Amino acid sequence: MTLTAASNDIVGKKQGRWPVGLLLVAMPVFLVGWMIIWPILSAVWRTVWLPDEGAGHSFSLETYRFFFSDQYSLNNLGVTLWTTGVCAILLVLICVPIALYLRFAKGRLAAYVQGLAIFPMFVPSIILSYAIIRVLGPNGTVDLLLNSVGLPKIRSPYLTPWGPVIGLVWDNIPLTVLILLSGLGNVSNQAIEAARDVGARPLAVLWHIILPRISNSILVAVSFTVLGIFSSFTLPYVLGPAAPEMMGPFMQRTFRDVNDPTMAITQAVITFAFCIVFGLFYVRSVAKNRAP
Amino acid sequence: MARELKERRIDWVGICFAVALTLVIVVPLLVVGTWAFTNVWRYPSVIPQEFGLRFWNQTLARADVWGSITMSLSLATMVTFLSALICLPAAYAFARLDFPGRNILFFSFLAGHAFPKFGLLVAIAGIFLQLNLIGTFWGVVLIQLVGTLLFMIWIPVAAFQAVDRRMEEAARDVGASPLRVFWSITLPQAGPTIAAAILLSFVGTFYETEGAWLIGAPQIRTLPVLMISFINNQPVIQYGAVLSVLLWVPSFFALLFARRVISSGSFARGFGA
Repeated sequence: MTLTAASNDIVGKKQGRWPVGLLLVAMPVFLVGWMIIWPILSAVWRTVWLPDEGAGHSFSLETYRFFFSDQYSLNNLGVTLWTTGVCAILLVLICVPIALYLRFAKGRLAAYVQGLAIFPMFVPSIILSYAIIRVLGPNGTVDLLLNSVGLPKIRSPYLTPWGPVIGLVWDNIPLTVLILLSGLGNVSNQAIEAARDVGARPLAVLWHIILPRISNSILVAVSFTVLGIFSSFTLPYVLGPAAPEMMGPFMQRTFRDVNDPTMAITQAVITFAFCIVFGLFYVRSVAKNRAP
Repeated sequence: MARELKERRIDWVGICFAVALTLVIVVPLLVVGTWAFTNVWRYPSVIPQEFGLRFWNQTLARADVWGSITMSLSLATMVTFLSALICLPAAYAFARLDFPGRNILFFSFLAGHAFPKFGLLVAIAGIFLQLNLIGTFWGVVLIQLVGTLLFMIWIPVAAFQAVDRRMEEAARDVGASPLRVFWSITLPQAGPTIAAAILLSFVGTFYETEGAWLIGAPQIRTLPVLMISFINNQPVIQYGAVLSVLLWVPSFFALLFARRVISSGSFARGFGA
């Protein structure tokens, strides 16, 4: 209550000066309006309000019709959906056990595991791509080691759809683990011990006590991953096949190399549409955790 | 008693995770590090035939490498400077002042995170095309500046809010001017977190590849963009390896100084956990 009183007091003092606050935040807010809100609105507008045969513009869904009837575009969309889905599943399967281990383990070994799980955050994805090519690429380290013990070479994932999957999973491990760990912080030791005391097995504890409490964190982690991977560019561009390509490289090529901005923006609007549910859910969870 | 027994047991799960993560995360980077200090490494030898610094001299003698190092540093410096200039006062206002629309404006910085990033970049590029900003330094500065807004406002807001108001008020009561209070009380307390935010935005901008590639190419060539062209077109493996080691330097500083911020729970909560 003192807090409310104090803040009322401050508000009272500053009441005559509120334009100062607006003035101080004006520039970043203007940038958000000009560089995020306006481009999105304009992207939708420009792709449905096309120049017609005459001099004017008219409403048309021609570019969308083209995208959804063009087999090449559809293949690219398909490989993007496949990559995003596979990465999200793999990340959950890899990161939930790591986070569970880190939540309950103590000591130096756990600190080492946590350090390693967060380390990829400090490795730019372009270095990661290079490392993956050197290790898994043709005549890479894995081939060298297999050859030295007389085994045949691997079928390299480099330049196949699995190349970007490996890179994107690697890249997204730290934030997924951090988000899950933060969610596991809400699971109290008492709840688990109480369940154990009445004879629940570890699997039952996991299923009935832990998973329901972190399901929201898993959804947040998955949304964040989907948003990041659906339109990722660098890793698919460097590690992925030339065709079909993921939406990121596809948009870039359409924009710069094919020089067809309208079609590229159409593709961008389509990626927005596919991700909007995840985007809104993600933003809502972030906002819920953070009052200004 | 049961717990004591458990603690004495060998932590097999932990050992499995440690070994697996070391193999998957550390080994690939060590391979790149080894390549950078290798003069000769021919298939199928498991270790390099000759170690040395020959390719460091050759890589550092290339004009395109120096050009892109200069470009990356000046871009990251300019973006971080502008970002601090416009975001820190805004962060102070969000933390301390009251004005109409404060909440909605505070959350407006999340708008960019509701959309897939590269799609948004393409939409922005469509606008830049009309403004003739494609292929220019300032076009890249603008697009990277937008990428730093959320961090540079949200982290400092938390820092300002964590400052003890009673100390500020006590200083005011004994007659310190508002500027003096800000300089002597607020800044020293909020400073370390703000410095971490500035460092993170510098490093994040330094590695920003997608905006620089989409908006800047081919005129604006940053270090990561040069690295892409080395990966795609450069048959000499060591050039890429040496460039990777050079490229990692800013991350190393981030690792040294910003790790505590990232490991803290508030960082993960900033991502919606």
